[in-house]
Amino acid sequence: MGKVSRPGPGFLPFGLALILSALSIALIAKSWKREEQSVPFWPERGWVRPLLGVGIFLLYAVLLPLLGFILTTFFFLICWMWVIERIRWATILPISIGVTAVLYLIFSYFLEVPLPAGFLS
Amino acid sequence: MLKKMLVGIVLGSFLLLPLLAGAQEKYPTKPIELVVPFAAGGSTDVLARLVAKYAPKYFDKPLVVVNKPGGGGITGTEGVVRSKPDGYSLFVGYGSGHDLVTPHFQKMPYDTFNDLVSVCRLSIHSIVMIIRGDAPYKTLKELVEWGKKRPQVTASVSTKAGSVDITFQAVGKATGLKMVTVPFRGGAESVTAIVGGQTDCGGNHPSEVISHIKAKRLIPIAVALENRDPAIPDVPTFKELGYNVTAVGSVKGVAAPKGTSPEVVRYLAERFKKVCDDPEFIKSMKDIGQPVMYQGPQEFAKFMKEGFAQYGQMIKEFNIKLE
Amino acid sequence: MGEIWGMFQGLAGGFDIAFTLTNLTFALIGAVLGTMVGILPGLGPSATISLLLPLSFKIGSPVTSIIMMAGIFYGAMYGGSTTSILVNIPGEAASVVTCIDGYQMAKKGRAGPALGMAAIGSFIAGTIGVLGLTFVAPPLAEFALKFGPPEYFSLTLFGLLMATLLGEGSILKGLIMVVMGLLLGSVGLDPISGAIRFTWGIHMLQEGIDFVTLAMGMFGVGEIFYNLEKVLKTELVTRKITHLWPTLKDWADSKWAVIRGSFIGFFIGILPGGGAVISSLVSYAVEKRVSKTPEEFGKGAIQGVAGPESANNAAASASFIPLLTLGIPGNAAIAMIFAALLIQGVQPGPFLITEKPEIFWGVVASMYIGNVMLLILNLPMVGLWVQLLRVPYSILAPIVVLFCCVGVYSIRNTVFDIYVMGIFGVIGYLLRKVNLEPGPMILAFVLGPILERAIRQALLISAGSPLIFFTRPISGALMGMLILFIALQIFFSIRNKKGNQ
Repeated sequence: MGKVSRPGPGFLPFGLALILSALSIALIAKSWKREEQSVPFWPERGWVRPLLGVGIFLLYAVLLPLLGFILTTFFFLICWMWVIERIRWATILPISIGVTAVLYLIFSYFLEVPLPAGFLS
Repeated sequence: MLKKMLVGIVLGSFLLLPLLAGAQEKYPTKPIELVVPFAAGGSTDVLARLVAKYAPKYFDKPLVVVNKPGGGGITGTEGVVRSKPDGYSLFVGYGSGHDLVTPHFQKMPYDTFNDLVSVCRLSIHSIVMIIRGDAPYKTLKELVEWGKKRPQVTASVSTKAGSVDITFQAVGKATGLKMVTVPFRGGAESVTAIVGGQTDCGGNHPSEVISHIKAKRLIPIAVALENRDPAIPDVPTFKELGYNVTAVGSVKGVAAPKGTSPEVVRYLAERFKKVCDDPEFIKSMKDIGQPVMYQGPQEFAKFMKEGFAQYGQMIKEFNIKLE
Repeated sequence: MGEIWGMFQGLAGGFDIAFTLTNLTFALIGAVLGTMVGILPGLGPSATISLLLPLSFKIGSPVTSIIMMAGIFYGAMYGGSTTSILVNIPGEAASVVTCIDGYQMAKKGRAGPALGMAAIGSFIAGTIGVLGLTFVAPPLAEFALKFGPPEYFSLTLFGLLMATLLGEGSILKGLIMVVMGLLLGSVGLDPISGAIRFTWGIHMLQEGIDFVTLAMGMFGVGEIFYNLEKVLKTELVTRKITHLWPTLKDWADSKWAVIRGSFIGFFIGILPGGGAVISSLVSYAVEKRVSKTPEEFGKGAIQGVAGPESANNAAASASFIPLLTLGIPGNAAIAMIFAALLIQGVQPGPFLITEKPEIFWGVVASMYIGNVMLLILNLPMVGLWVQLLRVPYSILAPIVVLFCCVGVYSIRNTVFDIYVMGIFGVIGYLLRKVNLEPGPMILAFVLGPILERAIRQALLISAGSPLIFFTRPISGALMGMLILFIALQIFFSIRNKKGNQ
C-alpha cells in the first residue's frame, strides 16, 4: 500500500473504502433519526416490468454472438414491445423491421462497424 | 534456332499451367492492417502513418493503421500474436519497451521472440536526456554537479518501467545521483512536464522534442546509444561522457504472428525496404526527428535478441528494481 | 498597438484562406460529421478523426485537413448536448452536467428551449473562444505550462467538490456518490506503479471501465429500467410541449450564464486533460451559487444548461491553444490532429505562427465560420428532435436501449461491454430508487484517476512533502479557494439550520 508520503497502488482504494463506510453509516444514521412513513420499495409489484426489461436485455447480449446482429435485434424489439408494453402486433412488426434496418444501415454500412453475424457468417 | 526457341516457349508455357492452377492468389489481396499498440499521435503512430502514406508507391494494397493502445503496448501486440498468420495483421513498434524491457520484470502473456516473426526494422527511437533551456546547468557534467548537492533529481518519463524509465534509473546509479523518475501518461505528457519545468530533466525520444529543441526551449545533453543518433548528431552519448549507460533505445520494427509464411515475410521486408529508400520518406522522417534505420528480417531478429540481452545486462549491472 | 494590428492582419489573411470553396466545403463536412458523431453513442471525435486521417493525405493541403478535423471536434460538442437533453445520455464527459437540468427540462416539455439555448450558448461561447485564441493565445499557453501535478491535483479536487453540489440531493449523498465514482475509476491498470486493481482476473477490465459504457449504462439504460416501473403509455414528456424556441425570459435568465460559462470554459479548458469536464462543473456550481432561485437547479433550470454548455464549447476552442502555440496536444482528438500535421510536414509548435501563419490563421478563421455553420445546422434541427420525443415512450425505450447496445459494442467489438453496460444499468436504476444521483459518481469516475495520478506525481517531485500543494503559487491559490469555499458552505449551512429553528 505504500506510505502516506509515497502512496502505492493500494492506498487509494483502501482509503476510499474507509471513507465510504463512514459516510454510509452517517447516511443510515441520518435517515434512522427521521420519523418517516415507510414507503414500499416496489409499490404494486412494480418490480415486474423492470425485471422483464433486464431479462430481455440479458437475453440480447447472450444471443447476439449466436444469432448475429440482425436476427437478435429484430427479436429483441418484438420481445420488448410485446411482453413489456403489450403493443398490437400490427404496430410491432413494421417498427421492428424498420428500426433493425436503420440501425444496420447506420452502424454497419455508414460507420463500417463490424457487427456480429452469428452462425450466418 | 528460332524454331527451337518457339518450341521451348510453347512447351514451357504448358508446364506453367499446372503451376498456375495450383498457385494461390498472390499476396496481398486486400489491405494490410498495421497495428500500433499505442495511442494515436505518439511517435510510433506517426511512424506507421508516414510509412502508410508512402506505401501505395511500393505495396500492391494499401496499409491501414489501427491503434490498439493499452497495457503499455501489451494489449495491442497480444492481439496481433493471436491473429491469423496470413500477413494481413502486422505489429508496428516491435522492439519497444514492452518487448525489450518489460519481460525482464514481468511475466508476459506471450513469448516476445517465439510468438512473433521479425519482418524488418524501420527506425530506432533513442532515449535522449533533455533539460530546459533556462536551467542552471547546461551539460550533463553540470547537471551531475548540481544534482549531487540536492536530495534528489527528478526526471519526467513516459511510462513506468518503460525503456526510458529503466534507462534513467541506470543513469542515476551510474552518476551517483538520487534519480527519481516521475511517470506520465505517454510521451506528449512527459514533454509538457519538462517544458513546464515540473521536473529537473526529462527522458524522451528525439521525435517528441525536436520542435522544442529547435525553439531552444529544451536542450539535449546526452543520448543512450552505442553511437550517436543520426537524427541528433550533435548530442554526445552517455558513453562518450564517461557513463556506461548504453542501450538500443526503443526499437521500431515490424513483426508478424508466428507461422506467417516466409514468402509473405520476404514480400513485406522487400517493400518496406523500398519505402525506407524513398528519398521523400527519408526527408519526412528527418523533419520529424526519426532516423530511417532499415534492417532485414534475419539481422533484425538477431538485433532484437542482442538488444534484449543488453537491457538485461544494464538492469543487472545497475541493480534496477521495479518498486 | 502594432501587435494588435498585426493580429488583425493575420486574422484577415486567415479569412481569405478560410473563404475558399474547398475550405468552406470541408469545414461543412467536418461540422456535419462531428454533429452526427456527437449524437451517435459510442463513436467519439478522436476515433472519427483517426479514420479520416488517410483521407487528409489525399486532400493534400494541411490547412484544409485541419479545418475539417477541427470541424469534427467542435461539431461533436454541439451534438453531444443533444442526446444529453433528449434522452439523458451524455455523449462524453463534458456533457454529463448538461444532462442534469437539460433532461429535466425535456421532461417538462421544454426540450426545445433547452436545445435552442444550448446551441446558441455554444455559438457565443465558441466565438468568444476563438476571439481568445486570436488575441491571448501565446501568453495563456505559457501560463498553462506552469500547471504541473500539484496544480492539477488542487484543480481536480476543486472540481470534485463542485461535483458533490450537483443535482438536488444533499451534500452527504453527493459525497457518497463521489467516493463510489472514485473507486470505480481505480479499476484497471495503475499507470504509476504498473499494478492491476479490481479486475478479478478479467482481462477485459484491464484498461478500466470505459466512460461511454458507464455513462450509457447508468444514465441511459438505467433511466429506462427505472421508467419501466410506471406503465407509461404516453409520451415521455409529461406536459404539453410548449414553445419550440427559448422565450425572452429564457434569454434574460441565461445571458450571464453564457458569458460566465464561456470565460470559465476558456480559461480552464486550455489545460490538457480534464479541462473541459472541470470547466462545465465549475460553471454549473457558479450558476447555482449566483442564482436567485438555486432550488430550481436539478429540476430544469435553464442556466444549468446554458452555462455548462457554453463552458464546454469554449473549452473546445481553448484546447487548440496548446497545440497551435506550443505543439502540445491536450486530448485524444487534438493528438490525432497533431499527428496529421506532423505527417503532412507541419510542425506544430512555437514557430507555427511565424513560419506557417496561413495554417494558424486559416484554422482560427475557419473556427469562426464553423461555429456559424453549426448554429445554422443545429437550430432548425431542434424542431426535428423535439418531434422525436413525441414518439410513445413504450416504443422509444427499446430503441434507445438498442442504440446504446450497438454504440457500446462499436467501441471494442466485444459483447462483454454490453454486459458491463447492463450491470451499470441495473446499478443506475437502483441508485435512482434510493435517490442517489449518478451525476457526481460519473464525474468522480472521470476526475478520480487524474487526481490520483497528480497527487502521486506531485509527491514524487516533492520527495514526499505534502507542502508542495501550498507552497507553489498557483496550487496554493487554488487550495486557498477550496478551503474558503468549504468554510463558506459550512458557515451558510449552520446559519440556515439556526434560522430554521
